[in-house]
Amino acid sequence: MKTTSANRLSRRVFSSLLFALVALFTQPISALPRQKNSKEELLVLPGETGRSGGRLVVSLRAEPKTLNPLIALDVSSREVIGVMQADLVHINRATQLTEPALAKSWKISPDGLQYTLVLRRGLKFSDGSPLDADDVLFTFRVYLDEKVHAPQRDLLIFDGKPISVRKVDAQTLVFQLPKPYGVAERMFDGWAILSRHLLEKPYEEGKIGQVGTLTTPAKEWAGLGPFRLKEYVAGQRLVLERNPYYWKTDTKGNRLPYLDELVFLFVPNADAQVLRFQSGETDMISRLSAENFSVLSRDQKEYTMVDAGPGLEYNFFFFNLSDPGEKTPAEIVQKQKWFREGKFRRAVSAAVDREAIVRLVYQGRGTALWGLVTPGNRRWRDEKLPHPARSLEEARSLLKEAGFSWDTASNGESTLRDSTGKPVEFSIIAQSSSSERSKMAAVIQDDLKQLGMRVQVVPLESRSLLDRVTQTKEYDACVLGAASYDADPNSDINVWLSSGGLHLWNPSQAHPATPWEAEIDRLFNEQMYARTFEQRKNLYDRAQEILREYQPMIFLASPDILAGAKKSVGNFRPAVLEPYVLWNVEQLYLKNDAVNATR
Amino acid sequence: MRVKRAISGWLVLLVVLHATVIFAGFFSPYDPAEQDRKNPYLPPMRVHFVDARGRFHARPFVYSLRLHEGTFDQYEEDTSRPLPLKFLVRGASYHLLGLLPARLHLFGVQDERIYLLGSDSYGRDQLSRFLYGGQVSLLAGLLGAGVTLLVGLCVGAVAGYFGGWRDDLLMRLAELFLALPWLYLLFALRAFLPLAVSPLQAFYLIIAVLGAVGWARPARLVRGVVLSAKERDFVRAARGFGATDAYLLRRHILPEASSVLLTQAAILVPQFVLAEMTLSFLGLGVPEPVPSWGSLLSSLQQYSVLASYWWMYLPALIMLPFFLGYLGLGGELQQRREPYKIGKEPGGLR
Amino acid sequence: MRYLLRRFGHAVFLLVGVSLLAFTFTTLAPGNYFDEMRLNPQIAPETIAALRTQYELDRPLPIRYAHWVSSVLHGDMGFSFAYNSPVLPLLWVRARNTLLLTITAMLLAWGIALPLGIWSAEHLGRLPDRLLSLGTAALMVIPDLALALGFLVIAVKSGRFPTGGMVSLHFESLAFPGKLGDLFLHMALPITALVLSVLPLLLRHVRAALAEVLDAPFLLAAEGHGISRRTLLYRYALPAAANPLISLFGFSIGTLLSGSLLVEVVMSWPGLGPFLLEAILARDLYVVIGGVLLSTLFLIGGNFLADLLLYWADPRIRTEASV
Repeated sequence: MKTTSANRLSRRVFSSLLFALVALFTQPISALPRQKNSKEELLVLPGETGRSGGRLVVSLRAEPKTLNPLIALDVSSREVIGVMQADLVHINRATQLTEPALAKSWKISPDGLQYTLVLRRGLKFSDGSPLDADDVLFTFRVYLDEKVHAPQRDLLIFDGKPISVRKVDAQTLVFQLPKPYGVAERMFDGWAILSRHLLEKPYEEGKIGQVGTLTTPAKEWAGLGPFRLKEYVAGQRLVLERNPYYWKTDTKGNRLPYLDELVFLFVPNADAQVLRFQSGETDMISRLSAENFSVLSRDQKEYTMVDAGPGLEYNFFFFNLSDPGEKTPAEIVQKQKWFREGKFRRAVSAAVDREAIVRLVYQGRGTALWGLVTPGNRRWRDEKLPHPARSLEEARSLLKEAGFSWDTASNGESTLRDSTGKPVEFSIIAQSSSSERSKMAAVIQDDLKQLGMRVQVVPLESRSLLDRVTQTKEYDACVLGAASYDADPNSDINVWLSSGGLHLWNPSQAHPATPWEAEIDRLFNEQMYARTFEQRKNLYDRAQEILREYQPMIFLASPDILAGAKKSVGNFRPAVLEPYVLWNVEQLYLKNDAVNATR
Repeated sequence: MRVKRAISGWLVLLVVLHATVIFAGFFSPYDPAEQDRKNPYLPPMRVHFVDARGRFHARPFVYSLRLHEGTFDQYEEDTSRPLPLKFLVRGASYHLLGLLPARLHLFGVQDERIYLLGSDSYGRDQLSRFLYGGQVSLLAGLLGAGVTLLVGLCVGAVAGYFGGWRDDLLMRLAELFLALPWLYLLFALRAFLPLAVSPLQAFYLIIAVLGAVGWARPARLVRGVVLSAKERDFVRAARGFGATDAYLLRRHILPEASSVLLTQAAILVPQFVLAEMTLSFLGLGVPEPVPSWGSLLSSLQQYSVLASYWWMYLPALIMLPFFLGYLGLGGELQQRREPYKIGKEPGGLR
Repeated sequence: MRYLLRRFGHAVFLLVGVSLLAFTFTTLAPGNYFDEMRLNPQIAPETIAALRTQYELDRPLPIRYAHWVSSVLHGDMGFSFAYNSPVLPLLWVRARNTLLLTITAMLLAWGIALPLGIWSAEHLGRLPDRLLSLGTAALMVIPDLALALGFLVIAVKSGRFPTGGMVSLHFESLAFPGKLGDLFLHMALPITALVLSVLPLLLRHVRAALAEVLDAPFLLAAEGHGISRRTLLYRYALPAAANPLISLFGFSIGTLLSGSLLVEVVMSWPGLGPFLLEAILARDLYVVIGGVLLSTLFLIGGNFLADLLLYWADPRIRTEASV
């Protein structure tokens, strides 16, 4: 992916660059001869111009559950909604920077509390009805309504106070924040703007959660995205058609998207998805495992396979450091004495063979990790974070310092014992549905055996595992993974803050349990409201260093984002951010012969 | 006479096969848990007698394999390094029959490692894993099938023989058992058990779960047969002579069910070996890195394995003789049961 | 008639029992549908709590059961958390597809197993019988999933068959025979996989049951009377051996809804398989319970049919039933 290494740009340069971009995109429009409606302010996308027409088929691992952005939670639904809806400001998945979307420009007041957004003129929903500031007002009123239970609602609340939205004129809106927010305009990404005339009535009736099911007639649903609903067949497929009112064009003035139809087939199994792709029934594939990627690469016939490099997924290993409750088994409390010892955790980290994990689990298509921020996150990665090689000697000396000792049995197997003489034994739970994480656990098990630790791997089905980690807290150690949904640190807020539910080693604490967790809390909160990128980066780097020092999470590896498409698909440029291949769906097109030869 | 010879033939086959599994430590060259991280997915090494220059060697040898530059899993034979096969070598320590510590292995090579069935994704020797895995899986499969059939037989016999409310109750119970969402009960079971389950505990657990889930089918099959058998003339006659229920069941009725039971047994053993796969998914199976046949077979469910690593199918192939042995023995036993048929071979319509 | 009434009573009793136990099991299982949200950094715990309350997950079991029963009586069968809609319509659309697949597969499997099993019993111990034994044993050790996957690979390599799904994208544009052909082409592989996965079991039972009666004196006598082999085998031997086969046939019907789940997932057949599997893992409780209940209905039906057939086919049992 080509991009300037943006983390070196100062915040000032960065935002002026953005405004330059805005100017670049918005100005040539009036000069376009083919523009029928001079009032329409369309967004012109640079890049390869394609051919109009044709149908693109992709597969989804699970059926989408709803088209309603207010209640969608699962990956499939969000992927589908992503191509049917649009937001005010959008994060470009390739550059990882913001760019204008429904709002053609924005301005942030010097105190950082007021965001003034100007909407494009002449915007229309996919049913042809116009969009104005009232729709935006309505949208945020609904998202903020407690009774709606929109999952994203909490992103609009700062210190318990909600954001407020005010209309200046038909095109201009002012968002008032209770507090300055470091994320700035990125926060507008992902908020699908809703159609007031479609949704106001169900909203007033308290039925907004029931609309937008998949069985909704196509005419009764509309969005601002490149595609709109055409047909849904339960269990089989979802067919979307081109939104004729979409607000982007290519540099030649052709209205986007190029494709006439976008078909999602429901293929509930990763291997079956690969086979569908291989047989030519689908045109693109993403979320590939390294094994399947190499199978496809080997008999590369008519498709292009792309390794887009490390994504934002980080896999890690952690010990149960939660406060023992009354019901916690004595055995776990006993073991927590080891886990709480920083040197013990550091010894484990030193003993883990991350290179072997990358090789054995990802066939080399991944990167070893020593911190939460993956190399895929270009702006926020802490370059100063050390990458020590695996060292059993260091691990042994750390354990010795912490009072552990070894004895050797007659058959040469050594056993690690703590200062009271108890042998060090514990179990690692891992998701059985993720062969990758189960494998990591098995590698760690073997690594730690060399330190004399007796480790058992217990594969658990996902929900049972989550229940143990977040609710009952009956476990010793766990291998898990998470993926940031955006490059900005705030997307991992619940991991960092001690009060967060994803602060997995000791989730949802009332007060930080250790001084270093308190320090992370402080740094993180400070960066959240810091004004410049450099300030934020410094604070965030510091937090990462603390995490590394105390190793509550022992980071393992990050897989590459792997994708493929038929050679006939133009503008195929997988990104490392979700939705990996469909982020530029409006620009995807089918090359020459492929258009006529649609099945 | 023919049948007797056939039975002993099958028995010899089974004894030989099981001996390799029981003495897995001796027959397998390595510890099944030992990872050779430089050699994941190594294809089976070919045993040669003739080297690359065409010379014949009395002692068989293999060539060591070398990774293709820049690939993850493509190997080629390094013909400059023949590794002669050594027999009765000392290697990884193990406990013979779980008791005697020993280090002697049937074969091996010096300095390097030999993979006759290839290696898995961690570079573990598949042959060793197969032999050790058989210990757990075969025993669990056999015992599981035994428990299942015993329960099934008892329930089916009582329901079919006594009929009436007992029949109704037991059969509805069987239906209930067949209908329940077992997966959820197993989720729950997993949650209530302690996290770390030792291989031995896991083993008993597997048998218990398999037995508990599986009895309903054989029970219904047995019941059907018993229903019919108890109205046969000789049974009525015996009853007329004052035979007790227990005697009738044992002597006349249950033998009628033996064909169904033997067939079920032959089907259940491989089924239970596979079922261990599902249990492993829930964390109720044999824990890593202890091998089991279920875990060997589960890798076959991945397309990438199917497409790239054909040797992962070999374990399934060498499991066949085991199950064929059971089937064969079962078949012969069934024929022997009715001795009056033996004389008139090739009797009847056969 | 009284017998029918009694069986009906049993069925109701069984349905209530199964649903009650299913409810209990699902409550005992760790985790709930909303757990996954906890991993989503965007969602606050309060929102999750509110959703749980909205869907009554906090209420005690008896109340939830009562609500569910009333919803069943209203024809909803509860509410799917994931789809935010009643369960029955969701289930029904998919159950139809599953039944299309499984009924065809069942008929085919029995259609193959009967003649093949009889033939095998006839040649008991000879080479063809042994080969067949080898084949069935091989099928037994290959997991269903691997079998289905293998067929998909064949589909890709040959290019003759679609690699899953139920109809092509251009299905609507086809004429009727074209539609039928398209559907048939899509069904071919899943059905083959299904047939092969149940065939060993059926075949072995048919063979064993037949082998048992082939030596019976009455058949030898019949052969002596010069009755043709075909008539002998199908008119006399088969009914005599029918007993365990009828019970087995009952199971075949009982597993119509549940027997093809894994194959459906691999072959992306739009049936209950992918739907229920997702629901089970996601703890979409009412969907799972609905699925269980539906397949219980089939189980009851299958066993009932088997019992009727048993009485009808076996004169010895019939005498007892009239008592």
